[in-house]
Amino acid sequence: MDLLSTLFSLEEELSKVIGSYVQAFFICPRQVWLMSRQVCPDEDNIFLQIGRLIQKQAYSRERKEVHIEHLALDMIKRGEKTLVIAEVKKTSKAIEAARMQLAFYLYELKNMGIEAEGELLFPEERKKEILILTPEWEGKVEKVKQEILELINQPLPPSPHRGRYCSKCAYAEFCWA
Amino acid sequence: MQKTLYLFANGRLYRKDNTICVEGEKERKYFPVESIRDIYVFGEVDLNKKFIEFAEDKEIILHFFGYYGNYVGTFYPREHYNSGYIILRQAEHYLDSTKRLDLAKRFVQGAVANIVQVLKYYQNRGKDLESYLYAISLLEESVSSVSSVEELMALEGNIRRYYYESFNTILDDTPFILKNRSKRPPTDPLNALISFGNSLVYTKILTEIYKTHLDPRIGYFHTTNFRRFTLNLDVAEIFKPIYADRVLFTLLNKNVIKEDDFENQGGVFLLKERGRRLYVQEFEDKLRTTFYHRRLKRNVSYQTLIRLELYKIEKHLIGEELYEPFVSRW
Ligand code: SF4
Repeated sequence: MDLLSTLFSLEEELSKVIGSYVQAFFICPRQVWLMSRQVCPDEDNIFLQIGRLIQKQAYSRERKEVHIEHLALDMIKRGEKTLVIAEVKKTSKAIEAARMQLAFYLYELKNMGIEAEGELLFPEERKKEILILTPEWEGKVEKVKQEILELINQPLPPSPHRGRYCSKCAYAEFCWA
Repeated sequence: MQKTLYLFANGRLYRKDNTICVEGEKERKYFPVESIRDIYVFGEVDLNKKFIEFAEDKEIILHFFGYYGNYVGTFYPREHYNSGYIILRQAEHYLDSTKRLDLAKRFVQGAVANIVQVLKYYQNRGKDLESYLYAISLLEESVSSVSSVEELMALEGNIRRYYYESFNTILDDTPFILKNRSKRPPTDPLNALISFGNSLVYTKILTEIYKTHLDPRIGYFHTTNFRRFTLNLDVAEIFKPIYADRVLFTLLNKNVIKEDDFENQGGVFLLKERGRRLYVQEFEDKLRTTFYHRRLKRNVSYQTLIRLELYKIEKHLIGEELYEPFVSRW
């Protein structure tokens, strides 16, 4: 790989927030820092494999991941009045994080001039939640984006803290090696 | 979870739908591709480009060995974990001579600590290794004060000379003697066995490096020329004494591998197929053995331990935590 282009793409990487950072930010900021450097976890990790499998199976008929600029949307549907973008999750354990990620998508879409509503889907639990981008959500999203930018521009990752997510986290081998 | 496939016999290796097919003279075997991590090819095996593409796609690494059990090369699929950030850091630690020397010393210190553990283990089993332990401990003290990688190389060479000499004491109940360490070609059975074990360690580590963000071409202790794999040689310094040499001692002390497992080809010794199979079996047993990892709070295998070691190196490169090599406690 050409080191110079690596350097530039790295700079670009550290200047934008993407949906997966938002989700991860609420679980563990350390994950976000590592993700921003493409220090991704080992794909052999069993929890990652299960997650991917569920994503593949669930809604396989209507499901198509859609990429719009820096956003990777799980699913786009035509709603009654607006577009509906849906985000599929394995469990509702980190529901706050999932809500914020979806709000972030809605916010970014709005800035591109696209109005949409959000749906959170938990196929395993047969649960669904609607999310509308209110001014309150917009404020939260702006704040989170700012915090994430500051975080990823730190020279060092936040130290690992043992929390309830560590035991099933794909980064665990890296953090606790 | 994933396994290593060792091919000793001659035959053919090809893709059959989504499986790997190994065809020997007598039988044909199929392996689901997801279950294989790497393949070691010792025999005269035919394979085609289609198979290589399959291996590339499924991220399977192929290690090739020659007639003498000597390492020939590796098919290393295109990197799948690319982190420009880590590669930049790796290069930075190579280009900055202070940082490079610091890392190189850490590898050597780890290697010596594990050598000492091996010697102490046999000392406790009644072998008189005191003089070697003493000589090595004196040299060990100088590791921190050398001022160049070349000096470090020389020092490490001296330590290894004592260490290899001690093999004769550890193996004094066996017919095997090591006169001089001769790598290419091995001029006695013991040398053949040491080289064989070392190349298994080198390649195992390469397989694990593939699962990380590290670039195997940038090493610190061994000279990098950006064309050969060197990082795995650095990391192997730490693991050779506990993974390869301990296996070797076990096999010879228990008389599992015997003198007639070697063939003398005009002064060059090579381990015959039976011996290779026995060695690999013992080696794999070792890698599968698990122990409780205190920081990770769960059992890990010796195979996984290699990966953890690589993650520690990544953390050193990031600047998060200084790299402290793994030192065996048994
Ligand atoms: S293992 Fe724990 S500290 Fe490390 S990234 Fe995962 S959740 Fe965060």
